[in-house]
Amino acid sequence: MERERFEAIVLPHLDGAYTLARYLTRNDADAQDIVQDASLRALKYFAGFRGATALEARAWFLAIVRNTAYTWRQRQRGAALVTEFNEDLHSDDVTAHDPAAAVDLHRALAELPLEFREVIVLRELEGLSYQEISEVTAVPVGTVMSRLFRARKRLQEALI
Amino acid sequence: MTHPYSEAQLDAYLDGELAPADARELEAHIAQCPECARFRDRRLALRAAIKSQIPAFATPDVLRQRVRALLRPGSRLKVGAVWRSMVIAASLAAVAFGGWQLGFQRGVGETLADAVLTSHVRALMPGHLTDVQSSDQHTVKPWFNGKLDYSPPVYDFAGRGYPLLGGRLEYIGGRTVAALVYGRRQHVINVLLWPRGRGAARAATQTRQGYHVLHWATPDYTYWIVSDLGLAELQEFQKLLQQADSAATPHPY
Repeated sequence: MERERFEAIVLPHLDGAYTLARYLTRNDADAQDIVQDASLRALKYFAGFRGATALEARAWFLAIVRNTAYTWRQRQRGAALVTEFNEDLHSDDVTAHDPAAAVDLHRALAELPLEFREVIVLRELEGLSYQEISEVTAVPVGTVMSRLFRARKRLQEALI
Repeated sequence: MTHPYSEAQLDAYLDGELAPADARELEAHIAQCPECARFRDRRLALRAAIKSQIPAFATPDVLRQRVRALLRPGSRLKVGAVWRSMVIAASLAAVAFGGWQLGFQRGVGETLADAVLTSHVRALMPGHLTDVQSSDQHTVKPWFNGKLDYSPPVYDFAGRGYPLLGGRLEYIGGRTVAALVYGRRQHVINVLLWPRGRGAARAATQTRQGYHVLHWATPDYTYWIVSDLGLAELQEFQKLLQQADSAATPHPY
């Protein structure tokens, strides 16, 4: 039965879905609403999903979560999808080995533009391959590679 | 020195995304290019910082129940606010009722999970991963002889994409235990196991600091596995282990 198959191959990715939504929205309540909404959509479209394994379902489900989050954000804020470039984060006078490094890294991630933040979450936290990230974010693998590079460059600046 | 590869390609190499031939060539270049070696070291430091500071989240129970409710036959695929608050109330009641009973057991489990996670993180430091480095199960298994009071089952899943990398000893929960190390692409999976004690063992999945920790018990052994691998793949690996186990030791139950 479809619902059992959904439970077997999509639900194992609920943590990943929530983590992605949590970092895209930066808060728990919205992340929960997005994942619930995305699960509902996924269930509706599940009949059209051709994959058979949980691994194949991951990128498919995360793509729905991401799209739901983007739609939600557009509705919330009208337009501004891109976070402003923050000059403070890129100044040179941040002390090396600052005990506040953890705070800086969190802040740096939170302040990354969405398209950079999502590749970091998908790669570093969820362990997706470039191919899978390309499926989730609907951009070519080459773009995934360059976004990851640029995102890391910014995070690296927050570390040192 | 001229660099045959861009920094973005260096990233792709560190992500295990470069074709093998390119990866070998790039490795050779890094070996003699201090600048690229420095880039690599900084990236590894960043990866470690992300691992330890940026957590993956576990789905809140309320959300899990809401999503499960969508799957119930006859559910209208539409969730109203009143209904939602009822689910929340019900789950809070369940916590209030079940909380005190499970408190102690969960306490023990958490301590072990912490120890398992600590051993995994420690093992990832240079030179700590394996005491016996071998992809041959017939080398790894006998290595434990005389070091432990049990002979842990050792399997190799190289054919399924999870090669055995080796083994080592760990000290967990007041006893010396076997740790088996498996690989998956650039990820490391640590498997800790020891003879099962008395009492019911409760299977569990946890996510901490970006690592997944899975726990279960067979009739003979208590298993813990930990990795930064994605949960779906780690569960696939868990299934392989469980299948190998049940094939090796047929039990009436």
